[in-house]
Amino acid sequence: MIPSDLAYTKEHEWVRIEGKTATVGVTDHAQHALGDLTFVELPEVGRQLAKGDEACAIESSKAAASINAPVGGKVVEINGDLEDDPGLVNSDCYGKGWFYKIELSDPAEAGSLMNADAYEKLLGEGEN
Amino acid sequence: MSRKTDLHDRHVTLGGKIVDFAGWLLPVQYESILGEHEHCRTSAVVFDTSHMGQFLLTGPAAAEHLGKICTQDPAAIKVGRCKYGFLLNEEGGVLDDTILMRLADERFLLVVNAGTLEGDLQWIRAHLSGASGVELVNRSSKGWGKVDLQGPRSAEVLAPMVDIDLHRLGYFGVTEAVCHGRRFVLSRTGYTGELGYEIMAPGDDLVCIFDHLMESAILRPAGLGARDSLRLEMCYPLYGHELSPRRTPIEADLGGFIKPQREFVGAEALRGQVAAGTAQKLVAFRSDSRRRANPDNAILHAGQAVGTVTSAAFSPSLKVSVGMGYVDASLAGAGQELVVDTGRVELPVVVCEKPLYPGGTCRASV
Repeated sequence: MIPSDLAYTKEHEWVRIEGKTATVGVTDHAQHALGDLTFVELPEVGRQLAKGDEACAIESSKAAASINAPVGGKVVEINGDLEDDPGLVNSDCYGKGWFYKIELSDPAEAGSLMNADAYEKLLGEGEN
Repeated sequence: MSRKTDLHDRHVTLGGKIVDFAGWLLPVQYESILGEHEHCRTSAVVFDTSHMGQFLLTGPAAAEHLGKICTQDPAAIKVGRCKYGFLLNEEGGVLDDTILMRLADERFLLVVNAGTLEGDLQWIRAHLSGASGVELVNRSSKGWGKVDLQGPRSAEVLAPMVDIDLHRLGYFGVTEAVCHGRRFVLSRTGYTGELGYEIMAPGDDLVCIFDHLMESAILRPAGLGARDSLRLEMCYPLYGHELSPRRTPIEADLGGFIKPQREFVGAEALRGQVAAGTAQKLVAFRSDSRRRANPDNAILHAGQAVGTVTSAAFSPSLKVSVGMGYVDASLAGAGQELVVDTGRVELPVVVCEKPLYPGGTCRASV
């Protein structure tokens, strides 16, 4: 259920590291908790984000939330499909529901993220 | 301590996400708010609305006394018909919005909101104190509940289960019927804009009826989330949002439901407002964006605050965000461009004709 090739945050984001580029999305746990997404505000391409900066604002039929950058860098690509179809986050959160790609300013920051096993453990703790 | 309806175990079994609403534990959704909304617009859904109040008023003077305290004129309602209206304070402010059903010559059912139930009860009792020929029974305290069956295919779901001919029950009609040997009140009303029915029965009977309904292959349960977006698309007010003791039905643009020349509590204040006009008026608006406004957001015009949002949501039918709010009466015309300050952005909106969603089937013939 939890892809083993991704890194995770305790805020339920996933990060795919490929060389100096990181793709960011939210996990299945997050999309389930949020409910049907109705709106996604993405960062502008070229924007410089520090780790922890607000990167996206999202609205669902139940909630509104901010998504903070799990790693710092420059936004190089955004998933424009989410503007017309935010439901992609619900239907395919690890695939077509990705949010943005960032060029890492400090690849070492990725070391602070959890691997799939650690994230699964975190989810298990949340259930108890 | 929040209360459970008689259908609570069913909601849990069906995977409902339970929230507290007006002191009741009710499902906000089962699988998906958007999915339940869509299913109501195209097929049929059932909501548990057992939290709402049901007051039975009977007796030879029931019509006369009720007529003094509610905006509906009970004497003018034919047996087997329902009418929407209000309980008002002396200033014309809304204590509650209600549906009054005439079950027989001397038998009325008043359906009220959950959050206002106790206040309504005290207020009605105070106004009826000393009156003869009228008796009030709070059916909600006697275990009566309610489910709303809503959607263009709801008659198809209900017809095989009941002993009456649904063709004869028109929009805002009401009757007493039997389902699997259990008597209940059936009205062709609802809060979604679609063809539909409200079913009122004692708790055990209601559970039995609910189980029979759920045997339908097309029916799905729906929660409070879809109920709210469905009613908002229809511009139906929600008590505590569009309606409150500080707002009158005239300001809420619901004056068409009232004949203020008749005497009832609050009528004089309404006559004054009809003559003089109101400073603000309730409008519906839509944006071009999916980004939604929020209740209490300021509404702006030319940089000045001119009103307040009362309800807002993404409209699953229109695929844009919509809402309602009070604005200066001079800016309440359809087509008026306004701005909502969401706290994050200034969201351009345009005032629209009501309802926002014109495709509802509530008046369709069965």
